[in-house]
Amino acid sequence: MSRIALLTAPEAPFGLADLYADGDPGPIVAALAHIPELAEVTLPFLGAVLGPSAVGLRTKEIVILRSSAMLGCRYCVDAHTVVARDASLSVDEVRALRGEGDVAAAFAEDRERALIAWVDAVAVGPGDPPAAVAAAMAERYADADLVELTLLVGTTVMLNRFATCLRLPTGEQTRSRLDAEGWS
Amino acid sequence: MSAAIGEHPHSPATLAGAVAAGRMSGRLWLYANYHCNLACTYCLTESAPGVPRRLLGGDRMRALADEAATLGFTAIGVTGGEPFLLPDLPEVVADLAARLPVVVLSNATLFTPALVERLRPWADLPVTVQVSLDRPDPVDNDAMRGPHNFRKVVEGVPLLVEAGIRVRVATTLELDEIGPEPTADQERLCVLHRALGVADEDHVIRPIVRRGRAATQGLGVVAARDDLEPELTVTADGAFWSPFAPTVTGGRLDIDLLVSRSTTPLELPVSRMLGFLEGRSPGHDTTLGIR
Repeated sequence: MSRIALLTAPEAPFGLADLYADGDPGPIVAALAHIPELAEVTLPFLGAVLGPSAVGLRTKEIVILRSSAMLGCRYCVDAHTVVARDASLSVDEVRALRGEGDVAAAFAEDRERALIAWVDAVAVGPGDPPAAVAAAMAERYADADLVELTLLVGTTVMLNRFATCLRLPTGEQTRSRLDAEGWS
Repeated sequence: MSAAIGEHPHSPATLAGAVAAGRMSGRLWLYANYHCNLACTYCLTESAPGVPRRLLGGDRMRALADEAATLGFTAIGVTGGEPFLLPDLPEVVADLAARLPVVVLSNATLFTPALVERLRPWADLPVTVQVSLDRPDPVDNDAMRGPHNFRKVVEGVPLLVEAGIRVRVATTLELDEIGPEPTADQERLCVLHRALGVADEDHVIRPIVRRGRAATQGLGVVAARDDLEPELTVTADGAFWSPFAPTVTGGRLDIDLLVSRSTTPLELPVSRMLGFLEGRSPGHDTTLGIR
């Protein structure tokens, strides 16, 4: 049960009607709708950081799912298990990112293992990531990638805490997919 | 943001421009509180003695009036709840009226001689008290508004008039009771308000709006956003499209007509309101006559 009312279309502020035009916009929008002026800037920001960009979808989903697992966000792990599978991550890779399997065994590429170590260090902290982890990233990623991926971790952590602490519920479609694919 | 509001006072994109063009009311409404000594059947805010008070506070109201005057608002409205339950209301309203003309809504049941004495300075200020009176008979009136309401109103209004304070009477009825010609009851109500010292031009009749307790009771007319005059309304919970917007239904604040949660600076909701008005022609809200 969510800690807050998740606003339906007739309950939501009129200025956000477009977000409800295609039906249920999901719990993050339905929660942010309580504060329209923040929803209007937060949602484009989330779209820009989490959506398609110069960094590929597979890489982004590694970051998002791993951060969510490290932060113990049930809502985000559920949602991004489905998205990660759609982004062509294998079942073993998804299990490893969720903390249910060995990362080294599931991910053959050095580049992706370095990224996962970076995500673990950035998401949980505290303080500066270990020098070896940072050096491995610097060897394999351009500055622009490092900036974008680190911002992606931070943004995901923000959403992890938002969804966890407000107890946002997993959507019905996501729940059906998880059940059908044996993730429950 | 301030440049958009301040630099081109006659542009439709400014508050003054929107007001001058009739696209937005020049009155800023302030919900002083939500609690009330009555529990009227059609109350938009489910006001009653024990409800959460949602106080705006005198200092906040003064600050809002300062900002309103700077931004180009032309008047202030104070509503509730019953604003006269607030101990400092006489002084707060006097301070608001030093900035802009003020209308204060009241159920007129609290006007003891002692309170009216404290209101006497209002006689020299641009202050109007708008009181609710729905029916010309105590039985019919009090069925909707509570025991002894009628008697208290007819005793209280003359005290205000005698103190030199302008009084308006607002009558709230079902839409199908409001026609081009007054009913016999409405004629009797007009005879009554004239006898109380309230002129015809200070009597308004408007329909019950189906929100809050009226919705729960199945009363009133359904009003969409475009049926309501754009009148920025600030409460303890945010800024809303109209004073008919920040209603309470089933104990929960309705935010379907919320403009912004933040009201500081007042420029923020004003800018958002002007944005919503872009492309909206004047007169959208006149069909139902909701004022």
